Amino acid sequence: MIRTAADRAFFPTKNLLEEVGDMMILTGKTVVSALRPPFPYGGEFVSQFMFVLRLVWFPLIVSTVAFGYGAPGLQAANFLVLFGALDRLGGFFVLASIREFAPFVTAIVVAGVAGTAITADLGARKIREELDALQVLGVDPVKNLVVPRFLALMLVTGLFDIYALLFGIFGGILATLVNGAPLGPFWATFFTNASTTDLWGSVLKCTMFGAIIAIVCCYKGMTASGGAEGVGRAVNQAVVIALLGVFAFNYVFTQTLLATHPEITVIR
Amino acid sequence: MRAVAAPRSWLESAGDVGMFCGRVVGQVATGRVLRFTGETLRQAGILILSSALVICGLVFIIGLQCGIEGAYFTRAQGTPAYAGVFSAWCDLRELVPYAFGYMMAAKVGTGLVAEIGSMRITDEIDAMEVMGIPSIAFLCATRLVAAWIVLPFVYISAVGAGFFASYLAVVVQIGEVSSGGFFLIFWMFQNPPDLLFSVIKGMAMATAIVLIGLYYGYHASGGPVGVGTATAKSMVVNIVLVHLIGMIGTQVFWGANPRAPIGG
Repeated sequence: MIRTAADRAFFPTKNLLEEVGDMMILTGKTVVSALRPPFPYGGEFVSQFMFVLRLVWFPLIVSTVAFGYGAPGLQAANFLVLFGALDRLGGFFVLASIREFAPFVTAIVVAGVAGTAITADLGARKIREELDALQVLGVDPVKNLVVPRFLALMLVTGLFDIYALLFGIFGGILATLVNGAPLGPFWATFFTNASTTDLWGSVLKCTMFGAIIAIVCCYKGMTASGGAEGVGRAVNQAVVIALLGVFAFNYVFTQTLLATHPEITVIR
Repeated sequence: MRAVAAPRSWLESAGDVGMFCGRVVGQVATGRVLRFTGETLRQAGILILSSALVICGLVFIIGLQCGIEGAYFTRAQGTPAYAGVFSAWCDLRELVPYAFGYMMAAKVGTGLVAEIGSMRITDEIDAMEVMGIPSIAFLCATRLVAAWIVLPFVYISAVGAGFFASYLAVVVQIGEVSSGGFFLIFWMFQNPPDLLFSVIKGMAMATAIVLIGLYYGYHASGGPVGVGTATAKSMVVNIVLVHLIGMIGTQVFWGANPRAPIGG
């Protein structure tokens, strides 16, 4: 009785730890085989890059404009209007958009749209035994399938951060206009508060999000099993783990950036 | 011709989704789902056991995030004692609904597609119809009702997890405001109607996510690979819907009235 209870608590934890370890090993393998010649993955890299770009651009526009207009835009504008200080909304958007929501909305959309597609694709190849066939032919699946996806997703997520940032600020502009205020003060406080540290922090953070999503989704796709339900379940687990990983990393990164660069938190 | 094809197919599938949602909600509204109360309760149990913890976990992480951003922002303004304002608004009004929506879409939405989609492609749903069990009522309406029964409570526990995390981040971790000072401001800037609005926002997201998940699962085709593709597609639609519902909710509930105890 006690034994079964202990087993029930123990096995999920053990499986979880094993999976995290496997993902770390996959990360290591991916980085090593990305750097070690030969480099056969150029074509696949470009096609994956275009694939992610094509899937993500539209959901990302809708998501960032909606998020920027609703959460930081309307709520902060409400608060600032009470003090007659709506011009400060621009300064607030440096914190809200660049530091926080542009990277994480990008990560959510990339994980939900491109990550799921990658898991579904690799999972389909796995259960059709194409991956095993590749190995028999002497083609390394990590080098030819995971590495291009890893690099493409890192690059495209980092670049999409800039794009999300622009559309997020567009949401802020909408909120300013809805409140009937001119845009000049918005831009003035925005540019006096914006700093280079914030921008590189944002892009670096987003690039790392891309790496996390790529590894989790490739791992889950390549280990899909169990017939009909297997691929669907792999996609489900991949997106849950990717979101948890992204947000946990976000907390640690933001905390470290804020604590080690006190100058970016000064309001000017 | 090609330029018109994409918007046209979007419109067609939006119409399909609408018709399907109408059928599911119709089964609930006419009370036909009551024939399967046992199945409904079983689904509610599955929802609690498999999803409640992970939803609260994500909201907890977001609460920590709101806490540190609020603490650093109010410190920069020279008013660290007011970190509670930022946390109260950030948690309750915006980020808890979003985080709840994200995790619902990721865990419950895609889970429904994977489960019902595999039933569809293994012809279990057709077999069910042949045996005289109405599949929409038995598979879809029960899950929708289960979500409505369970999720308000899960949502409120998630709000609690978010509040607790913000408290940890602001008071225990950053430590520039006392516990009493934090809570004074924190509770002053929110009241029960705010919680109600927040729950409505979360439930609107949850309903949309469950219906979309059911639609993509019920209409899956093309073998095991098709289930994977349908799961991925449902996630795209859900992400966009979560953001749109979040924005519309903010506009409707707080757009014209900040509901803050400041000024007159």
